[in-house]
Amino acid sequence: MSEIPCPTCASPTQPETGPSPGFWRKGGWLLLALPLWFLVYHFLEPFAEWITASIFKLGLKSHLGSSVTFFFYDTPKVLMLLTLVVLVVTFLQTFVSPERTRAILAKRAGAWGNFLASLLGIITPFCSCSAVPLFIGFVKMGVPLGVTFSYLVSAPTVNEVALLMLFGMFGWKIALLYAATGVAISFFAGLVIGKLGMESSLEPWVLEVTFNPQTIEEAKQSFSGRLDVAVQGVRDIVGKVWPYMLAGIAAGAVIHGYIPESLLVKVMGKGVWWNVPLAVLIGLPLYSNAAGMLPIVQALIGKGAALGTVLAFMMAVISLSPPETIILRKVLKPRLIAVFVGVVTIGILVVGFLFNAIL
Amino acid sequence: MLIEVFGPGCAKCQTLEKHAKEAVEKSGGNHQVVKVSDYAAMAARGILSTPALAVDGHLKSQGKVISSDEILSLLKA
Repeated sequence: MSEIPCPTCASPTQPETGPSPGFWRKGGWLLLALPLWFLVYHFLEPFAEWITASIFKLGLKSHLGSSVTFFFYDTPKVLMLLTLVVLVVTFLQTFVSPERTRAILAKRAGAWGNFLASLLGIITPFCSCSAVPLFIGFVKMGVPLGVTFSYLVSAPTVNEVALLMLFGMFGWKIALLYAATGVAISFFAGLVIGKLGMESSLEPWVLEVTFNPQTIEEAKQSFSGRLDVAVQGVRDIVGKVWPYMLAGIAAGAVIHGYIPESLLVKVMGKGVWWNVPLAVLIGLPLYSNAAGMLPIVQALIGKGAALGTVLAFMMAVISLSPPETIILRKVLKPRLIAVFVGVVTIGILVVGFLFNAIL
Repeated sequence: MLIEVFGPGCAKCQTLEKHAKEAVEKSGGNHQVVKVSDYAAMAARGILSTPALAVDGHLKSQGKVISSDEILSLLKA
């Protein structure tokens, strides 16, 4: 069986070694590492400038010099941020599971259900490989189709790692903007699909199949045990996404050092209406994860690109991915796939235009 | 015992299958590992997130890759 590509998702692999004794050895040491993290993070920028000026002997203001500084500043910065963010997120995710989410959403019809599903999509771990079993489980256990779609759009669109990294790199305003728009898109996409009454557009076998819910009695996890899972998550996820991240930083460095601001403003600036649809058109077939996108976002915004355009581009890249759409084709007829992709695309376009108009 | 590994064929599911086989080797017992990739079969077993693992028909874990040691302890239980 061929492997399904799934770079955006990684569930922590449990440690191979047996349970090691002691709070400190089981992840408690992280509490001590945290102050050190902040200290190192604080000195990253002067360090990158020192490398550029003293080791490479480049002027900080030159094209190559500013590209090199960007690269040596962003690589450890994004890597450190990603590590901390994944650690926090995987730790929090030991408290939530798809089963719990489904229990909350079952039988919840109407707009309130869509809203709740969009919010839950932010934090719940989601992997496109799991999209089909999750979809069937939700629909079969009485989660309305529209509510299920709100969740299916929100889970990849409002990526919890991207959210916290935006907070770390740009501050709370942009992070909140990203979360709010993502939730709004998921809410309306699910609401529209629910209103259209497209239950007939599910593949027939989905309607016929029986779903027998099972519960797993899981042992209660200790605090240090949860931290341990989080450390494994960091190893797993950071180990998987670093090539995307490096590619993103390299692209960001080129933009930062070589693309003239005047040109970027002319093409991606606020006054240009067509750059939003163009950004979405380019972004939709592309497929990267949030860690790879953020250095590019940072470089573009730094050069005067409009926020709405950049946000639309980022969402188009990380939300709708070709692999996920192909997987969902197993349960959805082409008509519903088209509505799903169409509604999300329109949502992203509206967000892009709206932000360029009001900010 | 019968160990079933559920998953559509992504990297994580293959890792879990590998761990299951390692666990069987470690146990030295006569256990069988079966891979289930049919979605309807997964639904019938109530699986919501993959990869999932069942021992003798009882669902033991889903949505994560558990280690061979953990699978081993499931076999002994």
